[in-house]
Amino acid sequence: MAHSGINVLFEGTNLTRLLLGMWTTFKIAAVAIIIGLIIGVILGILRTFHNPILRFILRIYLEFFRIVPTVVLLFLFYYILPRQMNLHMPGTQVATLVFALWVAAEMSDIVRGALISVPIHQKESGLAIGLNRFQLYRYVLVPQAVQLELPATINLVTRVIKTTSLLMLISVMDVVNIGQQIVEANNQKYPTGVFWIYGLIFLLYFLIDYPLSWWAGRLEKKRLEQANGE
Amino acid sequence: MANEVLKVEHLEKYYQKKHVLHDINFSISKGEVITLLGPSGSGKSTLIRCLNGLEDFRNGEITFENKKVIPNEKNWQQLRQKIGMVFQSYDLFPNLTVLDNILLGPTKVQKRNVDEVKQEVDELLEKVDLLDYKNVYPRQLSGGQKQRIAIVRALALHPEFMLFDEVTASLDPEMVRGVLNIIQDLADEDDMTMIIVTHEMNFAQQIADRVLFLKDGSILEDTPGKEFFKNPATDQAKEFLQSMNF
Amino acid sequence: MKHKLLVKLVALVGIIASITLILAGCGSSSSSSADSNNPSSVEKIKKRGTIRVAVFGDLPPYGWVNKDGKRVGYDITLARRIAKDLNVKLKFVQVNANNRVDALNSNKVDIVLANFTVTPERKDVVDFAKAYMKVSVGVVSPKDNPITKVDQLKGKNLIVTKGTTAENYFTSKQKDVDLLKFDSKTQQFNALKNNRGVALADDNSYLYAWVKNNPTYTVGIKNIGPNQYISPAVKKGNKSLLNWTNKEIKKLNKQSFFTDDYNSQLKPYFGDEVKPSDIILPQK
Repeated sequence: MAHSGINVLFEGTNLTRLLLGMWTTFKIAAVAIIIGLIIGVILGILRTFHNPILRFILRIYLEFFRIVPTVVLLFLFYYILPRQMNLHMPGTQVATLVFALWVAAEMSDIVRGALISVPIHQKESGLAIGLNRFQLYRYVLVPQAVQLELPATINLVTRVIKTTSLLMLISVMDVVNIGQQIVEANNQKYPTGVFWIYGLIFLLYFLIDYPLSWWAGRLEKKRLEQANGE
Repeated sequence: MANEVLKVEHLEKYYQKKHVLHDINFSISKGEVITLLGPSGSGKSTLIRCLNGLEDFRNGEITFENKKVIPNEKNWQQLRQKIGMVFQSYDLFPNLTVLDNILLGPTKVQKRNVDEVKQEVDELLEKVDLLDYKNVYPRQLSGGQKQRIAIVRALALHPEFMLFDEVTASLDPEMVRGVLNIIQDLADEDDMTMIIVTHEMNFAQQIADRVLFLKDGSILEDTPGKEFFKNPATDQAKEFLQSMNF
Repeated sequence: MKHKLLVKLVALVGIIASITLILAGCGSSSSSSADSNNPSSVEKIKKRGTIRVAVFGDLPPYGWVNKDGKRVGYDITLARRIAKDLNVKLKFVQVNANNRVDALNSNKVDIVLANFTVTPERKDVVDFAKAYMKVSVGVVSPKDNPITKVDQLKGKNLIVTKGTTAENYFTSKQKDVDLLKFDSKTQQFNALKNNRGVALADDNSYLYAWVKNNPTYTVGIKNIGPNQYISPAVKKGNKSLLNWTNKEIKKLNKQSFFTDDYNSQLKPYFGDEVKPSDIILPQK
C-alpha cells in the first residue's frame, strides 16, 4: 500500500473530469430550478382561484409528482414515454424536464400555501383601492407570499441539488457517475481511493448546499423575529 | 334628487341560510355624513362592505351618482376608485414603503403621472403630520400612524365618497383622537360625503348629519344626528345608548 | 383529513390508469412496428451515420474509463471495431446492470456490449448474438497447497459469497463440500487469507484479476460447472442488426480479433497464468 489514496484525485484528468461532472450536475439543477420556480409560481397562483376543475387538475399534477419517486419519474420520462410517443430527448434534457416539473409541482404548493396565509385584510385593502385581480397579485399578494415562502423555496432547491445524484440512472454523466468510474478504474491501485473520491463529491455538494441552508435558516429566524417584534 | 350620491333600495343579504340584512333602504346626499350605529353583530360592517362590493348581496339595488350599479367584479373595480374605504385593521401593505402604499392606487390603477401624485401625497402627509415617515416601512409605525396613512392612501384616489369601518376600534386610546380629527377635518374642510361605522359616541354625535340605527340586520331609525342622541324614537335605540353610557 | 385522503386516492388511480394506458398503447404500437420502422436496423444506423452502444463505465477490464478520461476495455475495443466495420461514428451510452434491457427497448441504444451474460430469462426480452466471451466458476487456493480437483474439497471448507453463481453451483451440484458463506467480496478474500477455508470459489475472470495482485495464490480449478456466455444483445426482433453482428463476430473470430483484444485489455489484469482460451471462445 505504497500509494496514498488521495493521489487518485490527481492521476491523469481525474480531477478535471470530476469537476466537469459537477458542472453538469449544477447546470441541470440550475436550469430546472429556474424554469420550475417560474412555472410553480404561476401554478400556485392558479391554485388559489376558485375554479374547481382547474384546482382539481393542478392538485392531481402536484400529487403525481409528490407520490411518484423521482427515480421512477426519470425512468418513466427517459425509457417509457419515448417508446410511446417516439420523442427522443438526451438524458440531460430529460433530467432538466423532470426536475423542472417536479420543482414546479412542489413550488405550486409552497406558493399556494403562502398566498392563502397572507391575511384576507390585505386582499380587501388591495381591492378597496381599485386594484384588479392581476394587480392585486402582482403588487400585494405575491411579494408578500414570496417573503413568507423563501425559506421553504431554498430548502426545495437544496433537495433538488441533492437528488441530482440519481441522474446516472438515465446515463447522464454527472459527478456521481464519473466518481464511480474513477473508483472502479482505480480499485486495484488505490484501494482507499473510494474515500477520497466520495469525500470530494461530498465536499462539492456541501459547498453548494450548505450556504443555501444557512441562508434559509437565517431568513426564517429573521422572519420570526420580525413577527414576534410586531 | 340631483345631489344624491348613493341610494340603496330593498337590499337583502344572506350568509348561506342566515338572513343578515333585511330590506335596507336609505340614500345619502353630497356632503352628508351618516354614522351607522348599533350593537355588535347588528350588520353595520356587512352593510358598508356591500356598498363597495366586498360583500355580494342577494336582492335589492344600489344606485351610485344616479346610475344603477350592476354588481360584477369589473364594475366594482371601477367604482372603488370613487368609493374609498378604510378598515378597522389598518392594513398597509407591509412589503411597500409608506409612499409606495399611497402611490399604488393613483399610479397603477388610475395611471396618473407619478411626479404629480407625489407632490399631492406630500401635501396630504403634511396635513396628517407624517411627512417624515414617507420612506419607512409600515412595521416601523404605530397603529395610529398606520391608520392615518391608510386614510391618506384612500384619499389619494380622489374619492367622491368615503366609508369608515370602525377605524379606531383597534387603536390604543391615546391614538384615537388623531385619527378622528382627520375625519372631522374631511367633513369640515372638504365637505366629504361619508358613512362612518363607529363606537365612539361623542364623535358620532359631533359629526353626524344623520344616524342610521341598525339592529339585527334592519334599519330601525333614520334620523337627524341631533335628534337621535337627544331623543331616540325606539326602545332599542334607547337601550343601546344606555349600554354605551351615553 | 378524509377529503385529503380521497384526493390522494383519486390521484393514485389516475396515475395507475394513465401508466396502464401508456403501457397498453406501447405494446400495441411495438407489435405493429414492422422491420421498416425499426430505428436500429443496419440500414438506419448507416443512414444516421452513428451507432449507439450501451457500455459499462465502471467495470474494469471490460468497460471502464481510464485516468485520461478515455473509455477502454474488452467490450469497448469490440464496440470500436463494430463501428469501424459499419463505417459509422460511435456513440457510447453508459448504462448500469439494471437498465441494459430498458436502454434497448426504449431505442436509446442500438446494441448492448456490457458484459451481458446470456440467461434464459434475458432471452425472452432481448436477442443475443453469438457469444464473444465465456465465464465459469473457478476455485482459488494457496500456491503451496493448491486445490486442482473438486475431490480435494470433500468435507472441507470452501469460501463463497452469498448470491453468486459459485454459491449456487456448489449448493446444488457439489453437496459434499462444506460452504462458508460471506456477504461481500472483501470479506471472502480476507477469510481465505486467514485460512478459514482451504479454497475460495467465484467467477473465474474475477479470480484471475485477484491472483494477479496476490501472487501466493493460484486459480487451481479454472472451469467448473457449466460455462456462461457473454454476448452482444440487440432489441428483440431486430433481425437486421442481429444477423449483421453474428456475421461480424464470425469474421472477427477468423481474424483472431478476440485474441488481440484479450492480449491488450484482459491480459494485463489476469497475468500470465491465464490463457486466452480460458476466456474467449474457440476461434475457427
